[in-house]
Amino acid sequence: MSTDSQIAIDTATVLRPSRDIRHRRIDSEAVVVRQKAGEVLVMNEVAARLLDLADGRASVGAWVDVLVEEYDVERETLERDVLTFAAELAAEGMLEIADGV
Amino acid sequence: MSVFGSGFLINPDLFPARRSGEAWGSREIALTLPGGPYRFSGLNAEQEAAVRGRFGAYCAEGVERAAVESVLFRAAEADFRTIDVRGWEYALDLDATPEALRLAGLRLVGRLDWRPDLAGALWTPDGGGVAFAGIFENFLRVLVAYRLHELGGAVLHCAAVASPQGARLFLGRSGAGKSTVSRLAQEHGAEVLSDDLNALLLEAGAVTVEKLPFTGDYGDPRTPSPPAPLAGLYRLEKDTADALRPLSRAEAVACLLACSPYVNADAHRRDELFGDLLLLIPPQKAWALRFSLGGGFWPILSR
Repeated sequence: MSTDSQIAIDTATVLRPSRDIRHRRIDSEAVVVRQKAGEVLVMNEVAARLLDLADGRASVGAWVDVLVEEYDVERETLERDVLTFAAELAAEGMLEIADGV
Repeated sequence: MSVFGSGFLINPDLFPARRSGEAWGSREIALTLPGGPYRFSGLNAEQEAAVRGRFGAYCAEGVERAAVESVLFRAAEADFRTIDVRGWEYALDLDATPEALRLAGLRLVGRLDWRPDLAGALWTPDGGGVAFAGIFENFLRVLVAYRLHELGGAVLHCAAVASPQGARLFLGRSGAGKSTVSRLAQEHGAEVLSDDLNALLLEAGAVTVEKLPFTGDYGDPRTPSPPAPLAGLYRLEKDTADALRPLSRAEAVACLLACSPYVNADAHRRDELFGDLLLLIPPQKAWALRFSLGGGFWPILSR
């Protein structure tokens, strides 16, 4: 279910998990509960990592700084992929812009 | 967002704030379901007969100490809305706090209170008969689900099928194929415990399946069965072929969580439920089962 596909995200954007979701990391994946819809989803390793990083304080650019140390990939490619994936998670209602940032 | 109970009650503001009211009668009945015994007092003779007729051998005699005590009270006909149930999908309205759970439904109002032990109360205008048995069961389903959650277990929307290796659970919401799998398993000579709700408990370090008297088309709701070790959890996926794929722990927990009625919608208890469900998934026993209507899935479960 797409809730908002118009969120513009760049490296300065600060995101947090949506208030509607609760998530828990289990091994490399994450189980996500959409409370209003009563849905339970399983997110893959990359999505689970982004949910971990989306703490409402660090910018997307800061996520890239962390992830470039974890994955064997060029920063430019990683940044593009992270921005795309973060936008998808925001469009799916998993992430939202952090208040007061 | 609608006011709690407004779909069923004329005046939801008058929802009972505590376990009190006028009892229907002086009869008691105890049920030996998992997590019990569950004792109900305040019934009249017709209500007792309805419960005995509905739950058969689950009704116990001479129970001195019950694990959960509940009371039955009268409610006025005028308290409830008249609902045209044709083509209507029934779902109880639940409202949870850390100390209590309120229920509203068709001709029923209920409370579960932790004082600190779990105790129940049911108000209804029905004094007996088949309609009362249905009301009683709807309340009992919720009561048992919360009681087993207290014990670290879970009530699950699933079909349970007994086999020589133990009990297999086939999980999925309505339409996933639980009754179809039950029918196919029965055609292979297996015993279906229930095709609707079953209990999963951790007892002495072992995960066991316990039958509940909450059935759909398959399973005998009047006859208990002994607990059985869990032989496997299977997430149902209708297909044209039959195949098994192991589930990751996250997939298995997600499946159990989605199939844990009532408690999974309780924001005050969901985190605890998450943790409990993780403990209820034995290694290498959770699978995604693609199954066809030919019943070819049955032999591959034993491989």
